[in-house]
Amino acid sequence: MIALKTEKLKVGYGKKVVVDSVDISGFRGQVLCLLGPNGAGKSTILRTLSGLLDPIDGVVYVNQEKLPDKKKKDLAKELSVVLTTKFSAGMMKVYDVVSMGRYPYTSRLGKLTSHDHQLIQEALITVNADYLATRNFEELSDGEKQKVMVARALVQEPEVMILDEPTSHLDIRHQLELIDILKNLSKEKNITVILSLHEIDLALKSCEKVLLVRDNHIVGYGAPEDMVNEETISQLYGIKNAGYNNLLGSIEIENSGEPSVFVVAGNGTGIPIYRLLSKHNIGAMTGIIHENDVDYEVARTMGLTIKSEFAFEAIDDVNYLGAKKMIDRIHTVIDSGFPVRKMNEKNLDLIRYAISKGKKVISFRQKDEICKYFGDKQILECHESCDFLKHLDTEEMPTVKLGNIL
Amino acid sequence: MESIKKTLYLNKSKLGKIARYQCIYIVLIIALLAAVIVSVNSGTVDLSVSEIFKIIVLKAQEGSVESNVIWKIRLPRLIAAGVLGGALSVAGFLLQTFFRNPIAGPYVLGISSGAKMFVAFTMIVLMNYVNVLPPGVIMLAAFIGSLISMGFVILAARKVKDMAMLLVVGVMIGYICAAFTDLFVNFAQERDIANLTNWSMGSFSGIGWADIRLITIVVFISLAAVMMLSKPIGAYQLGEGYAKSMGINIRVFRILIVLFSSLLSATVTAFAGPIAFVGIAIPQVTKMLMNTSKPIIIIPTTFLTGAVFCVFCDLLARTMFAPIELSIGTVTAFFGAPFVIWLLLSRKK
Repeated sequence: MIALKTEKLKVGYGKKVVVDSVDISGFRGQVLCLLGPNGAGKSTILRTLSGLLDPIDGVVYVNQEKLPDKKKKDLAKELSVVLTTKFSAGMMKVYDVVSMGRYPYTSRLGKLTSHDHQLIQEALITVNADYLATRNFEELSDGEKQKVMVARALVQEPEVMILDEPTSHLDIRHQLELIDILKNLSKEKNITVILSLHEIDLALKSCEKVLLVRDNHIVGYGAPEDMVNEETISQLYGIKNAGYNNLLGSIEIENSGEPSVFVVAGNGTGIPIYRLLSKHNIGAMTGIIHENDVDYEVARTMGLTIKSEFAFEAIDDVNYLGAKKMIDRIHTVIDSGFPVRKMNEKNLDLIRYAISKGKKVISFRQKDEICKYFGDKQILECHESCDFLKHLDTEEMPTVKLGNIL
Repeated sequence: MESIKKTLYLNKSKLGKIARYQCIYIVLIIALLAAVIVSVNSGTVDLSVSEIFKIIVLKAQEGSVESNVIWKIRLPRLIAAGVLGGALSVAGFLLQTFFRNPIAGPYVLGISSGAKMFVAFTMIVLMNYVNVLPPGVIMLAAFIGSLISMGFVILAARKVKDMAMLLVVGVMIGYICAAFTDLFVNFAQERDIANLTNWSMGSFSGIGWADIRLITIVVFISLAAVMMLSKPIGAYQLGEGYAKSMGINIRVFRILIVLFSSLLSATVTAFAGPIAFVGIAIPQVTKMLMNTSKPIIIIPTTFLTGAVFCVFCDLLARTMFAPIELSIGTVTAFFGAPFVIWLLLSRKK
């Protein structure tokens, strides 16, 4: 069932149109998420959907009724909001702030009935904030305040709840907690939740629908699984110097430097090394990794030069030779400490080759393992990132032009 | 079990709250009674307590000097101090809520000065035609003046978001009004000036029973109306967006708050002249005392606290350097200004 619907909605302030042709439907029990960069117009859309701002053109329907024609009192019983605006609560207690949500239901002087009290307590329990009831609202952390504001919106017994960037300024624990609360609200109380988020991964994992807003335009609307891919996200936010990985839901800083090291990796052991190198602007190549390896995903998103093998294939000679050529051009080889099995045995040969060529080899393996695989050779052991950077000592590493390798 | 415990806990804290409120009310009422008794009893004409009792309750010695002193001077003055002090505090609370500014008040925002300016103007113009202005006319003039100032402050508040900046603007508006007042006075005749300066110093003296009747009617009707608005005022404390989302007609609400705060502070200015710091300090003190900012509790309590405070200040103004009388503003500033400074400094943290 559709609780909120817009038709050819044009939102903005005065005559200035901020976003044009917004056509969305908020279904009961679903979470709809607005994604997009700052200033794209997400808040303006949300304010218009909440009835706080009149549309410039087009209509918003809440339960089949046109918004501006709907009585404010009635709307308040069907739709509640969590805003970004801060207010100075003075001496207000958490319980008082939440009880304010009963406004549309209470008598002229706002006397709370036992039913109201019960709802307030339930709402506080729902958002895991019952222990805060008697605290001063002002003294709470941002995360706690946000939960309390959701409780306030909840006691308004809405069918639609609209939240403007509810997770901003929250630490990761509170972000996850809040999203979880909202998801449960939508499912258990059959509320339509419409919110804007900055966390793409959270949106992907918790929303039924996303609305992509960029530069005052709707650039996409649909299920996140269909809408969100690496290209749309990079475009949506105009990301430069970084890449978004759809599988992992992570953002990786682009590593565009001239490669000066070769990372022999696999099974996820390469990721922390890639990130460390990117952070210190050290260009890198990596191999030989299988295409179904997480290392591959991250290396690809960072834009590293990769020597890869098909998934589930043992490393073949062509790739092995290619990797050798790559190693010839650089000074340092890093052994990430990848697990060695049949499919990737050749990677060990690659490191032995580097040793034989007199390259500097840094290994993340334990001493006994190093002896077992490489004998008593000149290998720098490394167990912490600071050792690693010391070993790398970038000055003695001549960089190689990419063109020479390929 | 858990939930029962929680309910018990909440009920317990509720009981504690009610006990606290009762205590504060008892203390305030005792303080008010004490102030009233001492006030009636002090002055140049010395009277014993039993004599006063006889005069007030039994209406003894009607027509005597003592009876006149009590009935025509001390009692009206006392009632005026109480009612106007309360009105000023409620006006302060409304303005603080309206501007979301804990240090707002009718005086610092220049609203009292606006009222004073317009009263001066009206007096000077109308005194050419009549000898005595009826209290209703003075009050109307003060109300119009308050609204003019309020209009300017609201315009400024749209531009400046900073709490302190708004006060600076308010103080400046106050200065401008004072400049105009001086200008008008220059064109005034001498007898008017005597009238004006006496009034503009700020004092509860010279208020008669006719004035009292008007004051109480206006103040108590406004107070009742403001009490009826306490629900939306509470919602407004969460900010305009939330208030609107809960179904409040913000435009109407804002107009009502402006009207009642102006009316209350205009009533004070019309009869007692501008009185500083009561409007800022008393609502804050009340919030701290009651440890809440719920309007339904704060509005009546701040009225009572303001009444007690002003009766005490008036007592001091009359008696400290008797027979010389201080202006009421001097005494309220003496207590109020340091409190406001403290408030400003403690906010910075």
